[in-house]
Amino acid sequence: MARRSPVAVWWRAYRHHLRLARNAALAWIAGLTALSAGVAVTVEDRVGSEAERQLLESMHDVPAFEALQGRMVEIGTMEGFTLARWGMFGILLAVWAMLAAVSLLRRAEERGHVEPLRAGVLTPRGLLAAATAALWTWLAVLALAIGASHSALGFDPPTAWALGGAAALLGASFAAAGALASQLAATRGSAVALAGTLLGAALAVRVAAPATTTPDWLWWATPFGWMGFLHPSDASQATVLLALAALAAVLALAALALGRRDLHAGLVGGEEASAPRARRIGGQAGLALRVTAAAAGTWAIIIGVVTAAFGLLTHDFIDAMAGMATMVELGREMFGMALDAPEGMVGATFFFVAVLLAAAAAGQAAAIREEEASWRIEHLLARPVGRTRWLVTRLLVSAAALLAIALAGGVVAWAATRLGGASVALGDALLGAVNVVPVAWLTLGVGVAILGLAPRATAAATYGLVVAAFLLDFVGPFLELPDRVLDASPLRHVAAAPGADVDVTAALVMLAVGIVAAVVGVLAFARRDLKEA
Amino acid sequence: MVDHPVLDRAAVPVEEPAVPAVRMVELTKRYGGLTALDRFSLELGQGEIVGLLGPNGAGKTTTLRTLLGLLRPSGGRAEVFGIDAWRDPVAAHRHLAFIPGEFAVWPQLTGRQTLDLLGTVWGGYDRAYRDELIERLSLDPSKRGRSYSKGNRQKVAVIAALMTRAPLLVMDEPSSGLDPLITATFQQLLREAKQRGQSILLSSHILSEVEAVCDRVAVLRQGVCVEQGTLAELRHLHATTVEATYVGTPPPLDDVPGVDDAEVGDGVLRLHVTGSPDPLLKALAQAQVTAIQMREPSLEELFHAYYDDRADGA
Ligand SMILES: Nc1ncnc2c1ncn2[C@@H]1O[C@H](COP(=O)(O)OP(=O)(O)O)[C@@H](O)[C@H]1O
Ligand SMILES: [Mg+2]
Repeated sequence: MARRSPVAVWWRAYRHHLRLARNAALAWIAGLTALSAGVAVTVEDRVGSEAERQLLESMHDVPAFEALQGRMVEIGTMEGFTLARWGMFGILLAVWAMLAAVSLLRRAEERGHVEPLRAGVLTPRGLLAAATAALWTWLAVLALAIGASHSALGFDPPTAWALGGAAALLGASFAAAGALASQLAATRGSAVALAGTLLGAALAVRVAAPATTTPDWLWWATPFGWMGFLHPSDASQATVLLALAALAAVLALAALALGRRDLHAGLVGGEEASAPRARRIGGQAGLALRVTAAAAGTWAIIIGVVTAAFGLLTHDFIDAMAGMATMVELGREMFGMALDAPEGMVGATFFFVAVLLAAAAAGQAAAIREEEASWRIEHLLARPVGRTRWLVTRLLVSAAALLAIALAGGVVAWAATRLGGASVALGDALLGAVNVVPVAWLTLGVGVAILGLAPRATAAATYGLVVAAFLLDFVGPFLELPDRVLDASPLRHVAAAPGADVDVTAALVMLAVGIVAAVVGVLAFARRDLKEA
Repeated sequence: MVDHPVLDRAAVPVEEPAVPAVRMVELTKRYGGLTALDRFSLELGQGEIVGLLGPNGAGKTTTLRTLLGLLRPSGGRAEVFGIDAWRDPVAAHRHLAFIPGEFAVWPQLTGRQTLDLLGTVWGGYDRAYRDELIERLSLDPSKRGRSYSKGNRQKVAVIAALMTRAPLLVMDEPSSGLDPLITATFQQLLREAKQRGQSILLSSHILSEVEAVCDRVAVLRQGVCVEQGTLAELRHLHATTVEATYVGTPPPLDDVPGVDDAEVGDGVLRLHVTGSPDPLLKALAQAQVTAIQMREPSLEELFHAYYDDRADGA
């Protein structure tokens, strides 16, 4: 075999990673572009009357809304309205970019796909650069898609391109952060935990920025905050783009500087030192606990950060609401939330927790599938462990972990609310937590059904369903979709407890569907071939 | 050592010597349109070592995974000590231990944790024997899975299987990744297992390995079993090379049954004979043969005979 030049090898690795990321990237690019464009074209309908416009404008500078949505500027205009949505879209994009980077850099390695690549001429840095460059390439496509589509829809063209560029650079920053975490941590799980904590912290600071008790410069403290300064009236587009580009560059350089770790090792973690203390695993149930615990811990931290941030804001929020009767009325009518009471705020918090917990549930389904895809499952199933027993054990451990995460979130919400100067009963906070568990269990059940019926689609389809449900619930109403379509999202049926009564019927239906789906999944799994990745 | 407590625990079928350790009947596995295994029948008596021989893609892994109930048979059936492997895998697996070709580790578990986990899941294991195996295969069990090389992962797999002393050992190219020294130790371990009365089904594309340890061989080619028997039988089915020198007129070799490729030179002849050598010997007796040399084919040559056919056919 002729020896290839290092550049040719690198180019091959780059194209390989482009291909690996392609499907997910195209789905995200299409989804985000369509979503943002959908918001832009329906602005006219939504702010038709002067009264509506004024109501929208009055949301500007209400800390609570800005905490949820991100900074709002002239939201009566097409640009302002759409840009305000990017407070949320930016988070989605960041989460995806980060996970995609960790996955490209870590998962392949854990499955042993990287050794053949690395055995050749490619250096660790080369591999890191190839994966990062591939993701950045897809993000550049996102910039083009947003810039071109939004200009065509009547956006102020410089703003359309600034939005596209900022979105891409935000994604690039978090992709680089994911790459950096992959260098620092010793496993994929701990890399996700590390990068996720970083993302969660940035998000918490962004959420805290609008609070009256925090200084205004907090808006400028995180990349999520920067995304709020893209409106032409702020005259900060160039600054934002430069800041994001600098952040992406710094993170990428840091990752490259550290990019010489050994395969299957990290720069921190002291793995080998702790090994002799390693405890017995016990049987397969012990293993299920062990492999679930790491991911559950990460999600508990993410959800803890969110509930803490909202809890700390509760006092401010209620204060602001006291002077806004129309807004309170609107909240009651549209969301069934009592926005002028701490219980209402806790209910609103757990609305977001519901989405996160559903994502955690999708992650659990994906992790169960990964045990099969990596073929580690063979060690158990070639021994006297039945397939049904294995899957049911994993399922029950995951379900219990989701419940525990929710309850931990409840306790944090209670504590943070009190710390912020408002007061809510512990029982009420826990009710809010328990109220979001059925939707997570439903997700887990559906994930297991997919695992049984179409195993290779498990991760993509389960996460996809969660994202679809989220979009239907949060964006669908603005697109004026018919109620029948909107009602397909289970998230719409999660009542804002404790501020509102728990919808017991909806919870029971979700549980029943989840259980039926899980049973279907288990039965199908017991009857099919095991399937590698 | 057949009366080892773990073996005793392995229940009824083992005490019933008539039941074969493995019985595959017309076992068939299709992936979509591809028939990876076509009506393969094989019986493995208790205490036997049988080799499943074939190049990459022949269907060895498919056979073993179907035998383990990891893949659902498209036709036929597989039994372990009389227990249907697809219908009751848990009962079947109480009697066997499996060494996969590629051992995917849990990256966060140490070797010792992995061994303990797998032994516990199997239903117990012999700790003293585990420690002996760790020693003989020179594994460092305190390392995390992610830091094991392929060879070390394979050692974990070997130890995890052997330490159970299961009555049946099923192995898919078990020595891949092991260095020659460890491979020799491994083969010694297999012979010891056989002496204890354990039955072994082992797949390999390495002839010397099969030749070193197996009593019988089944040769797979593109999912079809092209040959099965003891090594001696296989050799008999195949041409023996005969070289003889003679003086005077050459022996009349035309129309001698079983003789092929006869080259008759000046006082020397060389030919291949298949089946009984009797007609050839009678023909040779008609000439004045001064020296004769007969050589059985090595497994290597047998192997090439099968696969060269494929090259012709494909
Ligand atoms: N999961 C699968 N799906 C489709 N084809 C497969 C699958 N696994 C194996 N094959 C095909 O079946 C044939 C036999 O493969 P395998 O049993 O792995 O052979 P061996 O172990 O002898 O190398 C090969 O042609 C292989 O490509
Ligand atoms: Mg194989």
